[in-house]
Amino acid sequence: MAETEPRLSGVVCDAGPLLHLDELGCSDLLEDLRPVLVPQAVWAEVERLRPQALTPVLEEVSHAVALPAEIEAVLRGLSLHEGERQALRWIAANPTLTLLTDDAAARLAAKALGWRVHGTVGILLRAARRGQREPSAILEILRAIPHRSTLHIKPSLLSEIIAEAARSWQLA
Amino acid sequence: MSAMPQPQATATLEAEVPSRVLGELQALVDAGWFASLDEAVGDALRRFLDSHREAILEAMIREDVAWGLHGRD
Repeated sequence: MAETEPRLSGVVCDAGPLLHLDELGCSDLLEDLRPVLVPQAVWAEVERLRPQALTPVLEEVSHAVALPAEIEAVLRGLSLHEGERQALRWIAANPTLTLLTDDAAARLAAKALGWRVHGTVGILLRAARRGQREPSAILEILRAIPHRSTLHIKPSLLSEIIAEAARSWQLA
Repeated sequence: MSAMPQPQATATLEAEVPSRVLGELQALVDAGWFASLDEAVGDALRRFLDSHREAILEAMIREDVAWGLHGRD
C-alpha cells in the first residue's frame, strides 16, 4: 500500500460483506472499522435475509444526498441496486469513508469515482494483520468460504489467496 | 475514466475518450437510440461490466488481498 493512502476512517457497508462476515462467524471484525454505517436500503435487505448480521456496532443511516445527475446516470447504467446507490451517495457526501462491498459493479463505480473500496476478503486478511484473529484461524476461515458462506470466489483464485497469505505469514 | 469526488452537489465526473468514439456515441443519441449521452455512456459501461465482470472482480479482490496483508490501516 502506498504511504499516501489515507487512513481508514469509517466505512459504509453494502449488504454483501455484512452477510458474508456473519456467515463466517466474523461480524466482530467490523468493530475495528468504526463507524460502520449502513444505509437504510442495505439495512432492510440484511434484516430480511439474515437479521442476526445486524450487530450493535452497525449504525443505520438515512438521508444521503443525491449525486450529480451525470453520476446518477452512470450508476443506473451499471444496474446498481438501491442499497449500493445509497452507499455510494454516502461516500460522495463523506469521501473519507471507505465502501465495503463484494459487488463488482459497486466496486467499479467506487474506483471510477476515486473512492476507497474493500471487501470481505480484505477484511479477513486485515484481521490477522491487526491481531483480531490468529493467522492460522484466518486461513481456516478462507478455506471455509465455499461451504460456509454465499461469497462466490473462483476456486483457483481462492487457492492462490490462501497460498499467498500462508507465505506472507510463514505458515506455508 | 476519472472523477473528482467533491463535496456533495459540486462533484464532477470526467472522462477522456477519443473524439471519434464520442462522435459515434453522439451519433447514436442523435439517431434516437439513446435519450442522452449520459444514457449511452451508462449503457456502454453496463455492457463492459457484463462482459468483463469476472476479470474485474478478480482484479479488485487481488487489490483487496494486497491491502489486507500489507496495508497500513
